[in-house]
Amino acid sequence: MRLGRHELILEPRPALPAVYAVLGAVAAILLALVLASVLFLSADAPIFAAYRTVFSYAFFNPHGILATAHRSIYLLLCTYAFLVPLRAGLWNIGLPGQVYAGALAAFAVPFALRATGSAPALPAGVLVALMVAAAAAAGAAVGGFAGALRARLQVNEILVTMMLNSILVWLVAYMIKEGGPFMGATAEGESFTLPQPLYAPLLRGVPFTALLALGAAVFLDVLFAKTALGYRIRALGENPAAARYGGIIPVALSLFVFLLGGAFAGLAGYHYFAAVPGVYKIPGNYGYYGDLGFYGIISALIARGSSLAAVPIAVLFAGLSLGARFAQGALRLPFGVDYALLGLLMMTFIASHVLYQFRLTWRRVAAEAPAVQAEISRE
Amino acid sequence: MWELLARSLEASTVFLFAALGELVDQRAGVLNVGLEGLMLFGGTAAFITAQAMGSYPLGFLAGMMLGALLGLAHGFFSITLRGDQVVSGMGLWILSFGLTTYLGGPYTGPLGLGRIPGFLGLSPFFPLGVVLVALTWFLLFRTSLGLAIRSAGENPAAAEASGISVVAIRYLCVICGGTLAGLAGATYTLSYNPVWTYNFLMGWGFVSLALVFFSMWNPWILLAGASLFGVMWQLSLSPELVLPGVLSRYVWRTVPFAITIPILVIISTSWFRTRWGLAKPEALGRPYVKG
Amino acid sequence: MTGPTDRAGTEPILAARGVSKRFPGVVALDRVDFDVQAGEVHAVLGQNGAGKTTLMNILFGLVQPDAGALYLRGVRVHFRSPHDAIARGIGMVHQTRRLVPAHTVLENIVLGHPRIRGVLNLRAARAEVEALCRRYGFAVDLGARVWQLSEGERQWVEILKALYGGARILILDEPTSVLTPPEVKTLLAGLQELVRDQGVTVLLVTHKLPIVMAASHRVTVFRSGKVVARLQTEEATEEALVQHMIGRDVAFRTVERSAGTGHPLLHVEHLSAFNDRGLLALRGVSFALRAGEVLGVAGVSGNGQEELAQVLAGLRPASAGRVHLDGRDVTHLSPLERWRMGVGYIPAERTEVASIAAFSLVENTALTYHFDPVYTPRGLLDDVRLSRLTQHILATYNVVAPHHYVRARHLSGGNLQKLILGRVLSRRPRFLIAHLPTQGLDVEATAFVRAKLLEARAEGAAVLLISEDLDEILSLSDRVAPIYEGRFVAVLPREQADAETVGSMMAGSRPQETRLR
Repeated sequence: MRLGRHELILEPRPALPAVYAVLGAVAAILLALVLASVLFLSADAPIFAAYRTVFSYAFFNPHGILATAHRSIYLLLCTYAFLVPLRAGLWNIGLPGQVYAGALAAFAVPFALRATGSAPALPAGVLVALMVAAAAAAGAAVGGFAGALRARLQVNEILVTMMLNSILVWLVAYMIKEGGPFMGATAEGESFTLPQPLYAPLLRGVPFTALLALGAAVFLDVLFAKTALGYRIRALGENPAAARYGGIIPVALSLFVFLLGGAFAGLAGYHYFAAVPGVYKIPGNYGYYGDLGFYGIISALIARGSSLAAVPIAVLFAGLSLGARFAQGALRLPFGVDYALLGLLMMTFIASHVLYQFRLTWRRVAAEAPAVQAEISRE
Repeated sequence: MWELLARSLEASTVFLFAALGELVDQRAGVLNVGLEGLMLFGGTAAFITAQAMGSYPLGFLAGMMLGALLGLAHGFFSITLRGDQVVSGMGLWILSFGLTTYLGGPYTGPLGLGRIPGFLGLSPFFPLGVVLVALTWFLLFRTSLGLAIRSAGENPAAAEASGISVVAIRYLCVICGGTLAGLAGATYTLSYNPVWTYNFLMGWGFVSLALVFFSMWNPWILLAGASLFGVMWQLSLSPELVLPGVLSRYVWRTVPFAITIPILVIISTSWFRTRWGLAKPEALGRPYVKG
Repeated sequence: MTGPTDRAGTEPILAARGVSKRFPGVVALDRVDFDVQAGEVHAVLGQNGAGKTTLMNILFGLVQPDAGALYLRGVRVHFRSPHDAIARGIGMVHQTRRLVPAHTVLENIVLGHPRIRGVLNLRAARAEVEALCRRYGFAVDLGARVWQLSEGERQWVEILKALYGGARILILDEPTSVLTPPEVKTLLAGLQELVRDQGVTVLLVTHKLPIVMAASHRVTVFRSGKVVARLQTEEATEEALVQHMIGRDVAFRTVERSAGTGHPLLHVEHLSAFNDRGLLALRGVSFALRAGEVLGVAGVSGNGQEELAQVLAGLRPASAGRVHLDGRDVTHLSPLERWRMGVGYIPAERTEVASIAAFSLVENTALTYHFDPVYTPRGLLDDVRLSRLTQHILATYNVVAPHHYVRARHLSGGNLQKLILGRVLSRRPRFLIAHLPTQGLDVEATAFVRAKLLEARAEGAAVLLISEDLDEILSLSDRVAPIYEGRFVAVLPREQADAETVGSMMAGSRPQETRLR
């Protein structure tokens, strides 16, 4: 864009040290929070009270802290569900569907083994382990389906996973509504409640899935940083042509990342519906939790694929979304503050990403090529 | 029966508008996977404006403008910044999904305006859709601008060497595509189902994206595909008309989505690709670097 | 410096004065003065990288010069884009096809034409184009899709497009590099008619001497970004031109010729392969390679070299033929297996294929070590070992880098190539494929890379060197195989391979080809 003698140019930035990426991420989060003040203002809510409510509930209130912990585990697992394929350059948008699949599979275990009463036939520990395994397997199967299609036939994984999302949403509805197999005896539009023996073991009020999630964090970090397999996945994600040159085969890896990612999503499904105290069922508003999974996408993007960095980010987002929901109720804000925050975070993240890579410079137009004085002479 | 057909065509129109916009986009070489986001935002803006101002025309205008704006943003990221088009599209979708849920929240519920008059029980949008299809076909295949668009999507270097500004063409198409996506969203919230609820599209944008692939980038085939899909969708809502009592209605709701998967698989096989693969704009999704 | 004019006092129709252009790391043009007279065929001669294409791109408005001016019919002009050049009657047919393969011939000709606006009236355009075709005696189906046409026909479509666009000055960049001899004849005859009967001016950029001698009135020779000679073609000889192109002061390093003392390692029989377009690019190449020998495949890019390298590396399937390495049939072996068997590949695309820009140098080294059990014990990457290896490579190959954990994108082209070379050679490959190993490198890096290739040869590797640089081929090879249109024209021992012979074979000319004139 020219203005007189100067022009405004958008040009690629020379590489910045990695610390700027972290700063950029922090800035993005802060900016999104600042922009959220617009939301509060538009609802005539006092800004500082609003922020204080959000944070104090999420991180300082005894109920709130527990809720934040539960949700963090959920978000962390969702983050990993997206992160693993992302490292290979693939988009697992289907993680909500895989979450639902995991939840269905988890509930299918007691259902199939007729353990829905208060005296289950098998030891509780075995049943819980089966539920976890089933959830992971179901998530992996759904993810793997999309991954296989992508690996063998180059079918666009975004489209397939979105279709699977829609299919699974309705399948869950079928299972828990209008006389579906999982429907609770007393509740309409909800699944049956898990009997007491099948509750997940708790450590200070937090289900053991926390260990699974944190274990996953360490596992993934080691996988990507230290193993040959992780190296190959990263190479594939960065430069598929170079990966081929180096003898790396995309087909098997594409399938693998979707299986692993799907498994994480399935575990997330088990966690939220079968392990969180006070829930222990698939509620009527299960769609909300599928949407919440999208926070996992943002976390993975902001963490730039680092599974350890995802932990604090997931905790933060868990707290923010809970606090926002609480503030929404307490301050009578319109519905969807947490959704709006999601949207704002996406926006600021993209902006920070662009700024990390480009800069605006204002400079003088390069002088015209000097006119050589010699005229076209003849001899 | 006629009512079912009329409703189906109304549904098809929404798919049609969005897919048509995306088709023009893709013919120029730009891939927008965040189509759903543009539709959501356009539809929400249209709904809010129409209800607040009590005017349908203003509502549609707002929807289209917002769609154009988001299309421009996508274009900026993909064309000028040469970013990954999938990242940009996904970003726009999540952004729209989040923001529209909040912004539209207070307006949840019925629109409250009188229904848009149609004739013979058919809303006026389907004929509009057909006209747009014809216009698009004419533009793409019978005008020099259309030739330029198609060339920009097949081989931008060839287009540039012929004196065409690939950047300008792509921006034009991405804005048009965005406008049509906004129109699609507006049609949904103002005509097809004038009740606002969060995430009202429930995946329609992605279906439209799939339809573009199915149509092999031909507007007339797209019309046929969108119409077919609209019928399928409507049937899935009221399966008792065709197969009463068989399976829960929730299972029927999954059918339209389930059908797209095998179709996607078929068009991805090498058999199909060798026979019809030439239809795909060769430079689709690849950032264009001049020189 | 201005050049002589033969028709004394006539103003050139197109001129460049003091034109310079730099690209990162290389000076493409250095204060070039250049004249073209109206109604002549002017040959622009030089090797690859001499600056010919850059100058033509500037004349056509595709590239902006850093310094200098252009004059059209005596008037100073400035082309911001091809649009301006086309509007002034300059047309260009590029080295690589700029056609849309999926569209018809007519659609391609009409694309971007200034007079064709709004609704396409293809019927009128078709009539006009058909008239043009009749005038030049060229028959092509205007309704055919371009991907169905042969290379020669596509060339004509581009020429037609330029002429239909009103070009009075036609720039042809290496037009004959993908043509068969009969097609070349047709082209040259057609060009002669254009110039003689229609008064069109033709700029013919080429590295092929027979074309220059047969078809041009005047010739300007480029070398390393400078104009080194301007001659009337009548007064020029092929030998003189070659010397101008190559330069008298080329020192051919004398290396002991082993001439095949090693045992035969590689046997290639009738190897064929398709390129990405689905056309047969490699047509039945056969050769044998011994350990401790360098076979130099000399040819202009686009004659099948890339496909040859990729098939031998396992990155492209062979459509026919066999490859035997040390007695074992490796024709369909995966790239991974080939690395394990001791095949080493240095691709031409440094940044797109041979390295990963975002990875650190250590991680780039791992690209050819991740499958090696020594470096990945029990599936874990041995970071210590890998970084020691990387540091060793950095030191031995003079790679300038802040430290070994810096990302590859921060290395200059030369340093990156040295790293890639080091990484591949550190595996001690028995069979090394080096495709354009010194392209775009400065003098120091080039000399280093070449020395390392000779070292590999001395240690018993069989080296297949694929290059466009005649210098390089002649100074490194034990045997030379000029490649043209997917076939080896011959496989010559070094003593029989001199610059002119190889150069003309690369150019596809045969000594007994009849000259037009």
